[in-house]
Amino acid sequence: MNASLRDRVAIVGAGYSSLTRRSPRLLAELTVEACDAALKDAGVTRADVDGVATVPTMPAYGNAGSLDGADVVSVGYLIRLLGIGHQVDWYTQTPGLITSTVIDAVNALAAGACNFVLVWRAVHMPRGRYSNFSRPGAGGEDQFRAPYGWTMPAAWQAMAYQKYFADHGAGREEMGRFVVDNRANANLNPRSYFRDVPLTLEEYMASRMVAEPVCLYDCDLPVDGCAAIVLTTAERALAMGRRGALITGYAQTTYPSTGGFTDPENMWIGGGAMGQKLWAAAGVGPEEMDLALLYDGFSVFVWMWLESLGFCKRGEAAAFFRDGHGRLTGSLPVNTSGCSLGEGRLHGMAHLTEAYLQLSGQAGARQLPNARRAVVTVGPGSWVSGGLVLRAL
Amino acid sequence: MTTGQPAPAGKPVPLPDDLTAPYWEGAGRRELCIQRCCRCRTFAHPPESLCPACNSPELRFEAVSGRGRVYSFTVVRDNVTRGFEAEVPYVVALVELAEQKRLIVVTNLPEADPERVRVGSPVVVDFEARDGMTVPQFRLASDDR
Repeated sequence: MNASLRDRVAIVGAGYSSLTRRSPRLLAELTVEACDAALKDAGVTRADVDGVATVPTMPAYGNAGSLDGADVVSVGYLIRLLGIGHQVDWYTQTPGLITSTVIDAVNALAAGACNFVLVWRAVHMPRGRYSNFSRPGAGGEDQFRAPYGWTMPAAWQAMAYQKYFADHGAGREEMGRFVVDNRANANLNPRSYFRDVPLTLEEYMASRMVAEPVCLYDCDLPVDGCAAIVLTTAERALAMGRRGALITGYAQTTYPSTGGFTDPENMWIGGGAMGQKLWAAAGVGPEEMDLALLYDGFSVFVWMWLESLGFCKRGEAAAFFRDGHGRLTGSLPVNTSGCSLGEGRLHGMAHLTEAYLQLSGQAGARQLPNARRAVVTVGPGSWVSGGLVLRAL
Repeated sequence: MTTGQPAPAGKPVPLPDDLTAPYWEGAGRRELCIQRCCRCRTFAHPPESLCPACNSPELRFEAVSGRGRVYSFTVVRDNVTRGFEAEVPYVVALVELAEQKRLIVVTNLPEADPERVRVGSPVVVDFEARDGMTVPQFRLASDDR
């Protein structure tokens, strides 16, 4: 991204459906609810939407399905429900993660392809255990994993925890301090699944082990729900008198993981390369950020991003959180809404909406006093990850 | 035996393909065979279509020492893989082979006490027969007597 694209496009609205573990309502209904809420927040209506974009997939492990309207909500499905098919001039369905979708939307708006883009991410929590591996034979990349009972994301990411702990002398207690502080943020977020459930370090240390050293509270929280945002050009946002968050710069990871496994090296190299591109694109550096919203599909990702983006040196994230620097009152508040670990798993939407809310002064009890610039990352740092730098409109 | 219960499902068996067949055939001979570039001598695993270092298509499998160290590991407590129900808690380890940095093979350490496994523990390859196939499985070198 070159400098001419800086601050050309803004997020001007955000909306949510209810977030529950398993909703009695179908995903289509939750998606319409979130999209209408985002449009209302932006001060526009369905009639204004001429661009739409989503990631039309779900965490498709094991026995999960892909029924449109129930397991996923595609562009075609939603624009039919909203009755806007005739007026949509631009759309995309991106694979991967929501940062890629937002980047496409920024490019489309800056190019003049459309005026208002509605971006949503709908995630369904299927029945049963969605990461079961129940087939008798394992082909493709599974042939080197499933015969060893290594088929679950928590067990894949556990390798990164164990390696990080061994290399840097940290452990579960330091990770627990981050997760506990993160929960306190979620307690100040009215839409968070865990808004009324505090967490102590003792409870974290005693919580159920999934794949050592990953415990239950290191994993994001699967929910049924949807979040949506509305983007428009900076000129249009100013003309409308909207508060919002300008997208100053973006970058994507272009370091494919090799060897079919996850470890800090892949995350650090991939995330580090992306971080350098991101700061160059935005023309600002980590020292100018007022908050960081770092992807937390698993808690260790937050540590890796903090280091990859240059907020601290490699191996120092554990001490950063142990000493409370990531709290709302710390030197760099991190994941101020509780994000995926506390609000619920919407694959990066929590990070985008919180950047918008903080930068537009709408974050309620957790509002930071001087939130002018934020960084958002989505993904594990290795392949398919992306990042944005935003500033208050 | 007629208990009325279906036989418990076995652990997943690898399904070799054109790229990976020599790996599993080697395991059948109780050899750990890893793909290696004939031009630049770089090892690759899982098998690649072209050498990731020099893009040569000339990749051959060769037997390696079967020695390495635990690069990282986990102890799975919440199993979701068929056939592993009775194994919980079980170790899954990434072994960095002695031949090359970050040349990683996935294994269990079926004989090892999970409490004794560490990042850096030396390991040696062994093999496990499974439904007509053979899968490499490592053991802690310190367990050898």
